[in-house]
Amino acid sequence: METIWLYQFRLIVIGDSTVGKSCLIRRFTEGRFAQVSDPTVGVDFFSRLVEIEPGKRIKLQIWDTAGQERFRSITRAYYRNSVGGLLLFDITNRRSFQNVHNWLEEARSHVQPHSIVFLLVGHKCDLEAQRQVTQHEAEKLAGAYGMRYVETSARDAINVEKAFVDLTREIFELVRSGDIQIQDGWEGVKSGFVPNMVHSSEEVTKGSRQCFC
Amino acid sequence: MASQVATPTSLQTPTTSSSTSLSSPALSPSSPAQLSPDDVELLAKLEEQNRLLETDSKSLRSMNGSRRNSGSSLVSSSSASSNLSHLEEDTWILWGRIVNEWEEVRKKKEKQLKDLVRKGIPHHFRAIVWQLLCNAQNMPIKDQYSELLKMTSPCEKLIRRDIARTYPEHEFFKEDSLGQEVLFNVMKAYSLVDREVGYCQGSAFIVGLLLMQMPEEEAFCVFVKLMQDYRLRELFKPSMAELGLCMYQFESMIQEQLPELHMHFQAQSFHTSMYASSWFLTIFLTSYPLPVATRIFDIFMCEGLEIVFRVGLAILQMNQAELIQLDMEGMLQHFQKVIPHQFDSGPDKVIQAAYQVKYNAKKMKKLEKEYTTIKTKEMEEQVEIKRLRTENRLLKQRIDTLEKGQVTRAQEAEENYLVKRELATVKQQSEEATAQLEQARKTIRQLQQQPLAKGPPRFSEESVLQLEKELVQARLKEAESQCALKEMQDKILDMEKRNSSLPDDTNVARLQEELIGVKLREAEALTGLKELRQQVRDLEEHWQRHLARTASRWKDSPKKNTLSELQDELMSVRLREAEVQAELRETRQRLLEMETQNQIHSNQLRRAEQESRCLQERVQTLTTQNKDLNVQLQEIKRRQAEIECKSKEEVMAVRLREADNIAAMAELQQQISELEIQKEEGKVQGQLNHTDSSQYIRDLKDQISELKQEICCLKGQKGLVSQPTFDGIHIVNHYIGVGESYQSSDDDGAKDPDLQSLQPRSGGRIRLRAKLEDTDSDEEDGDALRLSVPQSKSTTV
Repeated sequence: METIWLYQFRLIVIGDSTVGKSCLIRRFTEGRFAQVSDPTVGVDFFSRLVEIEPGKRIKLQIWDTAGQERFRSITRAYYRNSVGGLLLFDITNRRSFQNVHNWLEEARSHVQPHSIVFLLVGHKCDLEAQRQVTQHEAEKLAGAYGMRYVETSARDAINVEKAFVDLTREIFELVRSGDIQIQDGWEGVKSGFVPNMVHSSEEVTKGSRQCFC
Repeated sequence: MASQVATPTSLQTPTTSSSTSLSSPALSPSSPAQLSPDDVELLAKLEEQNRLLETDSKSLRSMNGSRRNSGSSLVSSSSASSNLSHLEEDTWILWGRIVNEWEEVRKKKEKQLKDLVRKGIPHHFRAIVWQLLCNAQNMPIKDQYSELLKMTSPCEKLIRRDIARTYPEHEFFKEDSLGQEVLFNVMKAYSLVDREVGYCQGSAFIVGLLLMQMPEEEAFCVFVKLMQDYRLRELFKPSMAELGLCMYQFESMIQEQLPELHMHFQAQSFHTSMYASSWFLTIFLTSYPLPVATRIFDIFMCEGLEIVFRVGLAILQMNQAELIQLDMEGMLQHFQKVIPHQFDSGPDKVIQAAYQVKYNAKKMKKLEKEYTTIKTKEMEEQVEIKRLRTENRLLKQRIDTLEKGQVTRAQEAEENYLVKRELATVKQQSEEATAQLEQARKTIRQLQQQPLAKGPPRFSEESVLQLEKELVQARLKEAESQCALKEMQDKILDMEKRNSSLPDDTNVARLQEELIGVKLREAEALTGLKELRQQVRDLEEHWQRHLARTASRWKDSPKKNTLSELQDELMSVRLREAEVQAELRETRQRLLEMETQNQIHSNQLRRAEQESRCLQERVQTLTTQNKDLNVQLQEIKRRQAEIECKSKEEVMAVRLREADNIAAMAELQQQISELEIQKEEGKVQGQLNHTDSSQYIRDLKDQISELKQEICCLKGQKGLVSQPTFDGIHIVNHYIGVGESYQSSDDDGAKDPDLQSLQPRSGGRIRLRAKLEDTDSDEEDGDALRLSVPQSKSTTV
């Protein structure tokens, strides 16, 4: 039995090695925090359903990528088919914040002609004592890039849901307004089957601008 | 060795153990064709035993302890526990023999060796067999290992962070354990040896596995060999091109041998890299539990990366039925959750399946070439795309600028057109003017000529004078008429003004009406008056007649009394009538007057009302204007107040900045003064040192020359370097007090120790350390002075 969801969004999570991408995703999809876990070799895959408003469910397919620079040759193939992304850095690691620019360039150059909706995430916010990046400057950077900023902690489960749900809502609004359209052969957004509506599957995949709500 | 029937004695000579009745005939590794049924049975039992060993957790853990001391090359199976069954012993004996006679076995019994490896190497033998398989014995790099550990690597920080995440659930590698430390060492050492690869995430798993079998130096050697000879180095390079090639090759294998599955993958956009990257990078160590992965690793050590392809394809084959039914997400979850536990019972099945898979080495080579051409094409395309994109951008910019230029040009063209038109009209006018001018000139000439042609000049003068007079008169008249005109106009204006000041047309009309009314009254009054006069005349006539009658009546008889009475009455009546009529006239007259007065008053009232209305309107407009002006006044006041506040704030901010600057300047001046003080101190010290050191240099030079002389002497005497001189130098040493303490540099590269030691000292420091064997030294004899004396090696005091 398939769960009934309105849309399926594919997200990609990128950022320097050891900022906590796998932890964040595991906390979101499996509800647990693992103090130690294997480093991601290549890419990992997770999925979860979110309810952004009562009765509106979105399925999220999340790609977890390896952070080490040499793995980019593998991970860059996954940008094209993603509609949203979480750009992570570690607030206790200044370098990871400085590399945000590089990650954004990397993503933008490999996702053309599509575009990805990004959310800047400052992770490990529970380690306030070792903070090297202030909230203010991160917000400024996010504003300059036209994206929102959230601080999260997988360990203490702070803002984990919020990060993913906010991003999903943003993408949902863009899909609803027609700025992002479903396209054949593009895996970023897929529409689901809603049994109450009487329409054929062809109508759905043509990507009409009507929304289901 | 290869005799099929070996005597028990020959077998037992290298080993001592509880004797076995079995063993002799079948234990020789012979080619499969020559295997007797006993051999087959034995092999089967060996397999079984291996399986038992795999699942025996005790034996696993016993192998996982780290050993600091290097292992010996010879393994004696006498160290085996006495709990082993005789079959295990057989295996061990077999392997022991193989190990001891490695060279021969490698050359002549390769196939058998392969088969045995496929069935699994016993734990106890893994360390040695792996080293033998990759020829990691006696590697020169082993000696460098301890030196490498002392160096610092640029990848250290990265390695540190990943160490904690490698085999996190494994006992040996738990937090702050020896295992983590050892793993760090090997990774660091390798990153220093192979700077191109450095450190790659994933390689730690392989090293971890090696460390579970053998001590660190040997693990390091094996790892180096693996990276160099087994294609692993190419996989872990920063470009990771080899991984892409492996993916490509693997995919073509799937296409060839599992076409349905391949089509399903294509349909679901399920790329090989989604599941197979870690297979190649970690040789299944992250995909399967250790027992299974270790068996695969045995074969990897023997046969290379080929096994990964085989096992990978075997896994796909075994799961084909389920995978074909799943979508991309389902397949990924299948890979994540189901497949790792498929072989918990034992890896033999998958290994057997692996060997059913077709692997064509030539085809792989061909694919490699194909892949490189595809990749180069892609690179070129990428370059081309980038170039086109930049061109595109530039062209767009140009279009923008051109469009802007177009707009301005259109405007200019319009202006141009207007200017041209004006020019045309002006030209026309000028032409007309010139034509008129020419005409005038012509007439002048004509006139000039005419007088010449006709009478004497005096005449013309007179006529001219007359003309002038007439002209003057005409102008005077003109002026007068104009004056009159002006006067008339002024009068008209005055009249109009008066008119406007007078009441309106309506009022004029009313006045006219009034006038008419008055005239009517007058007329009526006149007519009344005439009538009255007429009546009066009538009355007078009647009265005269009456008088005449009465006069005549006195003559008459009283006969005519009634007639005279009647006539009298008639007369009185007529008189009364006249009175009444006169009263009537009077009243009418008064009525008319009243009416006219009424009219006049009502007109006055109306006029007054109009005037009051006008005044009220004026008052209203003026009050509104007043209000507006007040409002504006308030706003302006408000703005003024705001501006004042802002200026005050700015003044405050400027003052604060000034204060900060002054404070900073004070700090900087302080620092400057401190630094100057230090400089002075340094100078003084330097001078001292210099004076001291120059003396000591002289002393030392003397001593060196003495030494050299002695050495020459001694050489002649066949003696060695004498010690007393060293003591002398030793004493001198303390004065110098050279403290060479190196601080380990941080992650971003080790600094040159020569430079480091020079930096903090001022001039005059003795540098007698001419040659060093080692580039780094962490030794505590930092006070050492190394002399390089020609014949002897560097000595330390």
